[in-house]
Amino acid sequence: MTQHAEPAVTSPPAPGPQETDGRTAERPLVVRLLARPEVGVFLGAVAVYVFFLISAPPVRDASSMANILYQSSTLGIVTIPVALLMIGGEFDLSAGVGVITSALTAAMISYQLTMNVWVGVIAALVVSLAIGFFNGWMVVKTGLPSFLVTLGTFLILQGVNLAVTKLVTGNVATDDISNMDGFDQARKVFASSFDIGGVQVKITVFWWLLFAAIATWVLLRTRYGNWTFAVGGNKDSARAVGVPVAFTKISLFMLVGFGAWFVGMHQLFTFNTVQSGEGVGIELIYISGAVIGGCLLTGGYGSAIGPVFGAFMFGMVQQGIVYAGWNPDWFKAFLGVMLLGAVLINLWVQRTMTRR
Amino acid sequence: MDRSSHPRSRRIAPVVAVAAAAALTLAGCSSSSGGKKSEEGGANASAGKATTPRMTVALVTHQSPGDTFWDIVRKGAEAAAAKDNIKLIYSSDPNAGNQSNLVQNAIDQKVDGIAITLAKPDALKAVVGKAKSANIPVVGLNSGVSDWKKLGLMEFFGQDESVAGEAFGKKLNDLGAKHTVCVIQEQGNVGLTQRCDGVKKTFSGKTDVLYVNGTDMPSVKSTITAKLKQDSSIDYVTALGAPYALTAVQSVSDAGSKAKIATFDLNKDLTTAISKGTIQFAVDQQPYLQGYLAIDSLWLYKNNGNYMGGGEQPVLTGPAFVDKSNVDAVSKFAANGTR
Amino acid sequence: MTDNTSKTHGAILQDAAPGTDDGVIVELRNAGKAYGNIRALHGVSLKVRPGQVTCVLGDNGAGKSTLIKIISGLHQHTEGEFLVDGAPVRFTTPRDALDRGIATVYQDLATVPLMPVWRNFFLGSEMTKGPWPVRRLDIEKMKQTADHELREMGIVLDNLEQPIGTLSGGQRQCVAIARAVYFGARVLILDEPTAALGVKQSGVVLKYIAAARERGLGVIFITHNPHHAYMVGDHFSVLRLGTMELSAERSQITLEELTNHMAGGAELAALKHELSQVSGVDVEELPEKEDLTAPVAASPEGTS
Repeated sequence: MTQHAEPAVTSPPAPGPQETDGRTAERPLVVRLLARPEVGVFLGAVAVYVFFLISAPPVRDASSMANILYQSSTLGIVTIPVALLMIGGEFDLSAGVGVITSALTAAMISYQLTMNVWVGVIAALVVSLAIGFFNGWMVVKTGLPSFLVTLGTFLILQGVNLAVTKLVTGNVATDDISNMDGFDQARKVFASSFDIGGVQVKITVFWWLLFAAIATWVLLRTRYGNWTFAVGGNKDSARAVGVPVAFTKISLFMLVGFGAWFVGMHQLFTFNTVQSGEGVGIELIYISGAVIGGCLLTGGYGSAIGPVFGAFMFGMVQQGIVYAGWNPDWFKAFLGVMLLGAVLINLWVQRTMTRR
Repeated sequence: MDRSSHPRSRRIAPVVAVAAAAALTLAGCSSSSGGKKSEEGGANASAGKATTPRMTVALVTHQSPGDTFWDIVRKGAEAAAAKDNIKLIYSSDPNAGNQSNLVQNAIDQKVDGIAITLAKPDALKAVVGKAKSANIPVVGLNSGVSDWKKLGLMEFFGQDESVAGEAFGKKLNDLGAKHTVCVIQEQGNVGLTQRCDGVKKTFSGKTDVLYVNGTDMPSVKSTITAKLKQDSSIDYVTALGAPYALTAVQSVSDAGSKAKIATFDLNKDLTTAISKGTIQFAVDQQPYLQGYLAIDSLWLYKNNGNYMGGGEQPVLTGPAFVDKSNVDAVSKFAANGTR
Repeated sequence: MTDNTSKTHGAILQDAAPGTDDGVIVELRNAGKAYGNIRALHGVSLKVRPGQVTCVLGDNGAGKSTLIKIISGLHQHTEGEFLVDGAPVRFTTPRDALDRGIATVYQDLATVPLMPVWRNFFLGSEMTKGPWPVRRLDIEKMKQTADHELREMGIVLDNLEQPIGTLSGGQRQCVAIARAVYFGARVLILDEPTAALGVKQSGVVLKYIAAARERGLGVIFITHNPHHAYMVGDHFSVLRLGTMELSAERSQITLEELTNHMAGGAELAALKHELSQVSGVDVEELPEKEDLTAPVAASPEGTS
């Protein structure tokens, strides 16, 4: 025995070919492609589109497509930040009523104080970001599941929306602000239409695609995106290597606030008034849009393009059933089938990817 | 590490926004048109106050939060309570089981009278029996015109939804409509379904039913647009609530359709739309009256033993048609949120 | 900051120990930690020198993880002293520790499984280019650097885009080690790197520990396996119930002694006594108390 000798292992190992053998063998192209988070939903969206193209003749009309895209965009603008948040490992159940909170804030501040509507718009942005900050801060500081925290916020906002509106306006809906200063300008930004080859396309569609492009770039090409994946994939690892976990999570919640604000403003400047009881249940559509779009419920995986197709699938099915002239009683059933299918694909993807 | 610059600029954003908002305010950035300042001070409809002993009445409805319609019902009930020296306890839950619990809650508080809506009569049968055995008078309002007697309610104030629907259908016939789509904003709601069925019964043209997601206005808008595009022969949109009728106006223009719009129920913006001619007519069931009469009837019963409707017939508050010819008389009340 | 990192990288060996005569980078003097009134660690002294592997051994609950948390900046010590380069320090975040060249490779949470290898390599210290707001990741450079650094450590991966979760446990540890080395770590804390691995994989990790030492790093190797520790260690500390039971240079101790200390000789004897009263347990083959406290050839647990 050479117990007092130098340590047994001294030299760095030489790189050998057997090191890579079997571990990184090229997987079939199809499998690698399907492992992209957005490919599953892309194929799904194409399938749904083709399906309705055949079974619902009005869908072939370009203006019908504009309408489907419009519906998709009002969901999609919030679905994108909700998806980023989900990649960051958290939920936001308050996003749906947050949209209405934002719209109510803008409408009431402008109307009650008789201000230029832009004052209300900016105040609403502050309120929306503050709600996001509160959600994020609570989740980070308490360590409670975001499901619980945002469920609380969801209920609070639902009550506050109603109570404050009633208190301030004496009604449960805000007053019409369409004849106020700045309204036409704000409408141009949030709720106008463009003429493209004779088809009226809503501006929200452009915003939606622009936000998706920015979100994709941020997610894949910036440190912030890297951190988003990391805090959702393994929060403790991320913290240990110096990723600012609290900042990343709180700011993701605030991004959802931004999305809610944007759609809130769209609703306000489209419909001139806001009903305080709306928005309940929409949060689940945002979340399912993100899940259908290939984001894992457990976080750490997903894309910003996937949710675009997710929202499109929602809009397509919802409107497609009407265009096809079918019994709309089946809508929810269709949605359920879609959601289950998407979750199954995601499960399979996760297993394929992490298979040793 | 340059980590800090990126986060800081984000954190600053809200601060900048607040500062900007404050600056705008200071700069006198007030709107020269519209807004609160342009509103005229409207007088509330309040009569003198009764000197009868204080009594407590519970109003339990199936309202879902934030519904304009129920707000008007409640205002009517509050006006009656103020006049009759009644303490009004208002509660509501769209879930029938929960609504039944709320009624039980009122019984436990030993109220002097209960007014309830019978959206799902069977679920409330047991608790109405309990109220009766506790000698608490119960009246119905709004929903349940065909069930109130079976359940043993004293009186009923509301609109027969089927009758209202039938009247609506006849009106469409008179206006020469050929094809209508009846937009239901809450799938599975009995009252809304009865309205559409009523329309279908008397309307001589074709009636389609369309379900929309009432809590998501952009979705309502695009779904109606889709329907109008899918079937261009539709010449009348039948909305079942004022906000949905107003949204349908945008759908019609988006779809490039020539369809006209008519609706059940009223609100402030809707009366404006009727006088402008963007909406043809509305069937008003006078929700204010329903709330008012329900509370007032309990006061009358307690203090003078009266039965409205003689205890046999429902007191119908609708259908009352509001169109361009009579909208001016209605609009000023609607502006107060009471019609 | 990209340049910053590379500078640190190049300077590892030079600035190893400015303030001290014997080159000690990290030193604990009678350090301890109490959580409320529970004392998790007490009176622990430890020195880490460049080019040496300091092994910290101990059973579950002996205080090893508390020790790591103090050195890596996750927790603060409540008694004694913690010195880096001869100056007392108190880290509040892992970032502080990293900035002083102390990197920790955790057993389970060294990486984010679903992220590609190169992203994991640079996570938290990404290379960027371009001015804000269009500052973006320098992906090409990061991939090249990651590949180069991994090859330096003897790890060859033909696809850096594969999620790190698809690598074997040993490979993942090695990526984490290579990463810490690249980012200017002077001291590497390895938390039970071999615990979840098979024999072959453990060997691979031990080779990289040796490689890190060759590059002049101070290594704190936390383990409960004396055999692994003895393969690469220069100094051995054994923790028991939050205190230091043994601190010895390699020249002062044999593998058998280390094993006995690790196994807890006295406790095992008592256990043997108890087991002898349970029928069906053959205690004849187990060593006696005398055997356990003196350095002998018998190994109570056998080889693991």
